[in-house]
Amino acid sequence: MILIKLIFSFLIFTTCTAIGYFHGQKFDSRLQSLIYLEQCIKILETEIIYGLTPLPEALTNVSLKGKSKVAYLFEEISKDLISMKRDHIFHSFQSIETELYENLHLEKEDVEVFWGLGKVLGTSDTIDQQKNFKLTLKQIEGLISEAKSEKNKNEKLYRSLGVITGVGIIILLI
Amino acid sequence: MIKDYKIYDDLVENLCKELRDILIKIPNQYKNKIEEIRLRNGRPLAISYEGKDYFISSDGSVSNNTNNSFIVNEEHINSTFQLISNYSPYAYVEEIKKGYVTISGGHRVGIGGKVVYGPNGIENIKNISSLNIRVGREKIGISDNVISYLMEGTNMFYNSLIVSPPQCGKTTLLRDIIRNLSNGIKGSKGFKISIIDERSELAGMYRGIPQNDVGIRTDILDGCLKYDGIMMAIRALSPDIIGVDEIGSKKDVEAIHEALRAGIKLISTIHGSNLKEIMEKRSMEELFREKIFQRFIILDRSRGVGTIREIIDGQNLKPIHIEKRE
Repeated sequence: MILIKLIFSFLIFTTCTAIGYFHGQKFDSRLQSLIYLEQCIKILETEIIYGLTPLPEALTNVSLKGKSKVAYLFEEISKDLISMKRDHIFHSFQSIETELYENLHLEKEDVEVFWGLGKVLGTSDTIDQQKNFKLTLKQIEGLISEAKSEKNKNEKLYRSLGVITGVGIIILLI
Repeated sequence: MIKDYKIYDDLVENLCKELRDILIKIPNQYKNKIEEIRLRNGRPLAISYEGKDYFISSDGSVSNNTNNSFIVNEEHINSTFQLISNYSPYAYVEEIKKGYVTISGGHRVGIGGKVVYGPNGIENIKNISSLNIRVGREKIGISDNVISYLMEGTNMFYNSLIVSPPQCGKTTLLRDIIRNLSNGIKGSKGFKISIIDERSELAGMYRGIPQNDVGIRTDILDGCLKYDGIMMAIRALSPDIIGVDEIGSKKDVEAIHEALRAGIKLISTIHGSNLKEIMEKRSMEELFREKIFQRFIILDRSRGVGTIREIIDGQNLKPIHIEKRE
């Protein structure tokens, strides 16, 4: 009987700890995604402003040069743009919505900033494009510092909460 | 003919979905002939061929009146422009400044809208209000019977000028003559040719690749002003023949003189319906006085686009070939 109790207590403890850990991990993942996204957008800016590379090719180049956690999405956008013959690139940005939330753990405001770039990308000359890149990068910078403080505040909290909840349930059951 | 359908079908792939779906439905007999597709904001969707305009309705039927015709809006034009510029107008600024974009297949799209001036002249075209999609059709082989009139023996080419009103196929004929001269035809050696393709119509360069067959010994200076291009070709490309489209300005004549001094032959085109008309052009006076051109090819539309009305000897101004009429 004691052995069964011990096994169940161990299972409850590990499950609660794991839930807390993964929940806390999302804050770290979001921060990392935003940092990589910023890098990718900087590469895209260079391709467009200085290389005058056509957009589908520029997006593919970003996917080759950027960190793969985020960069693969630029290849997805490029593929969607060409295969679907979209009337506007923004529709291709929308096509990766699920990945932005589920794989990159971005928040709604992060996605809105990224989509904001999608709405103006490739619609004007280099001077105008550069202004838009500057604005997007500035906004992402703000989101990164916000994500950092969220991470510092919540990551440990959720992890500790997982452990404490596990211990609490075991005490109640015993 | 089958190839012509394909050219048209490939071309409409560059238009926004709604227009693409309509234009793909037009009867095949028109697809072979269309010279231009016209998109104007708030105006009917139009095509033109054989010098006449026709209007398209949403089911793809073609009519010469505007009843039931499909009306193009701003969204159609903006979306089509996105596709035409490969979602990258910033990469085509230099071309847009000149008023057109060349797309895959060598077709040229003329742009109408608000022209923005800056300190260095035209900077951009904004608020695009119309697009004129000119269907580029290369007609391989149309010059096969003309070449013999332009050559003495197998190795000597006469300076030649193609005279034609707009849309009579002068660029198409020039392109095929260049192809034949470059590849070599009927025992003649192939000539080294430099094309000064100021409006990207001859070779139809798209991302560094000529979309039209201009021969194996041909170098292309794309988007280059004729005067600059001729001088650059003389200096660096050592051509036997220089090919240019639509000469006419005094600077062009100056550059032609330079080329002739360097022993280079010339093939070119000029707007005009007959020899008398172009002889009266002040900028061309000198070239005629010096009898620079040894052959004139006069085109018209009397038997369809690209009819060769006559070929005239530049020395005595007498025809050496006249189109047989039925």
